[in-house]
Amino acid sequence: MSQPDYLQPFADCLTQSSQWLSAQAEAGEKHIGYFCTYTPVELIHACGFVPIRVMGEPGVVEQAYSLVPDFICPFMKCALEKALNGGFKYLKGVVQGYTCDVSCGMANIWKENIPGELYHTFPLPYTDAPATRDYLHKEFQAFIHKAEQAGGEFRLERLQSSLDMYAAIRRSLLSLYQFGEDGAPALNARERHIVVQAGYVAPPDLFLGMLEALASQKPFNSRESQAGIPVLISGSLVESVGVFDAMEKAGARIVADDLCSGYRNLLPVDGSGSGPMERLIDRYVNRFPCPSRCRAENRFPLLMDRIEQTGARGVIFLIQKFCTPHLADIPELTRLLKAAGIPVLVVEMDESWRMGGQLQTRLEGFVEMIDGMYGTNHGKI
Amino acid sequence: MEKSKKSTKRLAAAKELNKVVGEYYLECAAAKEQGKPVGWMPPMNGAIELFYAMDLQPVFPENWSPVCAAFGLTPKNFEVSEGMGYSRDLCGYLRNIVGYVNGPMTDPAIPLGGLPAPDLLISPGGGCVPVMKIFHALERRFPEAKVFKADLPQVALEEIAPHHIDYAIQEMQRLITFLEEATGRKLDQDRLQEVAALSDQACALWDEIMSYRRSIPAPFSAAEIGIMFVMVTRQGTRQAIDFLIKARDEIKERAESGTGVIENEKLRLFWDNIPLWYNMGLFNYFEKANAVVVAETYSAAWSIRLDPADPLKALALKSLMSYPLVSCVSIEKRKEMVLKACRDYAIDGVVFHRNKSCVPISLGQMDIRKALEDELGIPSVIFDADHMDARNFSTAQFQVRIDAFLEMLAERKGQTFKT
Repeated sequence: MSQPDYLQPFADCLTQSSQWLSAQAEAGEKHIGYFCTYTPVELIHACGFVPIRVMGEPGVVEQAYSLVPDFICPFMKCALEKALNGGFKYLKGVVQGYTCDVSCGMANIWKENIPGELYHTFPLPYTDAPATRDYLHKEFQAFIHKAEQAGGEFRLERLQSSLDMYAAIRRSLLSLYQFGEDGAPALNARERHIVVQAGYVAPPDLFLGMLEALASQKPFNSRESQAGIPVLISGSLVESVGVFDAMEKAGARIVADDLCSGYRNLLPVDGSGSGPMERLIDRYVNRFPCPSRCRAENRFPLLMDRIEQTGARGVIFLIQKFCTPHLADIPELTRLLKAAGIPVLVVEMDESWRMGGQLQTRLEGFVEMIDGMYGTNHGKI
Repeated sequence: MEKSKKSTKRLAAAKELNKVVGEYYLECAAAKEQGKPVGWMPPMNGAIELFYAMDLQPVFPENWSPVCAAFGLTPKNFEVSEGMGYSRDLCGYLRNIVGYVNGPMTDPAIPLGGLPAPDLLISPGGGCVPVMKIFHALERRFPEAKVFKADLPQVALEEIAPHHIDYAIQEMQRLITFLEEATGRKLDQDRLQEVAALSDQACALWDEIMSYRRSIPAPFSAAEIGIMFVMVTRQGTRQAIDFLIKARDEIKERAESGTGVIENEKLRLFWDNIPLWYNMGLFNYFEKANAVVVAETYSAAWSIRLDPADPLKALALKSLMSYPLVSCVSIEKRKEMVLKACRDYAIDGVVFHRNKSCVPISLGQMDIRKALEDELGIPSVIFDADHMDARNFSTAQFQVRIDAFLEMLAERKGQTFKT
């Protein structure tokens, strides 16, 4: 599908990042991969590395099964497949926050099988107390020591500027979720997805420049219309824009998301504190809750806030197959949402990320059901 | 071979285990009736010793799952949790215990009296995600229980640094404060030292018991690993010591007199990952080829020596080390442990249970497998199953794989293989 002009740099970034990251690596740039957005990218950046999120991309998994069982999420399987095919040669290693069991195990499997110089897993705390913050401070210091042994160089003033830069990126991305005067969001879900994903594979300074260029072109000529049943989608990563197209085709309009490849990563945009390290710690102990880190009950009010702010009429849980944190939260979240009068649909995706006919029919049925509930016509709400 | 089969027991200690298990669950029920605070907690942490030191009753919902599997209660529990919307792709422990507490728990006919409702929940952050989610579900089911939201760094053994230990000690102190406030009972430091010493003694006995399995022939096999029950539920108690001494004496006598599991032990096997609790008889399947499972990964997780002179630090270290010792948090150390065991126990081959109910243990198995081949020349076999859900296990596939593996091992040793 062709992109509007203002999106083309982001689409190009996604398709070409591998080539130019490889070229940058050959020129001496040090890239570090990470899986989960709980990884403190600002700290990695302040140590002189460029954090790049490891993306799996839809595809067929073959080689990865020589190292992992088939019952782990498509994201991790596809990422390992790509790594084994030489797709991440530009990375100097993987640094990861321990969130789910698979990301922890996968970081260790990479360490065993993919050559690199810096591998680290942050044992992240689950609470926020003075002792927790002190612990995390020491954990970050330990990482700095390790990063320096791997050729990095930490400077506190660079952490300050890294924090500023990532905060500016998140602020800019958040603005894409806001609704314009016409009631339509600045970009539709597909377009926003392309922009946000580009940020994971582009060096942050470059990406911030791209976002500033995008902002200068407002108002965008988004294809989003007010037609379609407004829904919120919730899950981990979405690795194919095709699912957005399928939902749109079924009559849904994605007005909000709770995705770690989307909105969930953007809040809070920054932390506060007396110094850059305190600011960093503050952000990571106050992250917008992910199911791998918190109770379903803590997520529910935030989902309801998003639903109320955006006028979403239903929730689609878009789950990667075998994703324990999300699957474990679904029964309770479903119960709470239904009790609040919000219809729920659970869709599981495999590594192909293809929406087959059966899924398409389920989506259409879901949208028609909501349409019927509200007595509206043709999805116009 | 049907899917659900009990293992053949040769040890008198294994037979006595039924009594020990029954007594533990009766004690749990009696505690509730007597007004002693009951706390549910995940296994593999230092809270158990704190509970015994404060005369509180620890209950382990994860450990209850193997009991459910042994008594055939699991399918009913799965029916309840899956009916609530819990996916079949989730860990069987999670589906079993969530199903049990929301279903048959109130049935008076439940074997061993079932589990008493908790007054306290030690709800973990850390450990594996399923166990964290089990406790979130328990918090919902038992809203009247007082909840301690525990935290613990999930750090590889080789990376444990002073700040991790300091934080784990602070968490132990926070737990003590919680328990004291929630129950009105004070922790007596002398009693804690005594409990830590008992726990350490249990670990020393356990290590000694395991060491006798180095004897050829092995005095007992994984078929009788249920004796580990006291290491899970009774660490820090005199009951554990009494049982382990009896077991040790019997096993020592068997080892010294050359009494093996079978008459003609020819192949020695190592088992990786959790057993199939609904089919412990699987461990006897190897015996037709004169093969015995003489060591396993899982039993190592429960043996961490404690320094009674500094019990808080010892318990903090236990909490930090137990889970990473057997999971993908520390593939490097796990590999070391498996390779060492293969050397120590003169292992001929390794059986990898690729366990749909346990991702953290299943991840990394292929790297361990490769190291076994490269460094020790020890072959291995992988079979797919599930430690709780018999629906994810095919007896025929297991037999075909294992037969071929045993035949290959026998040929390597110049033996005749008979099925």
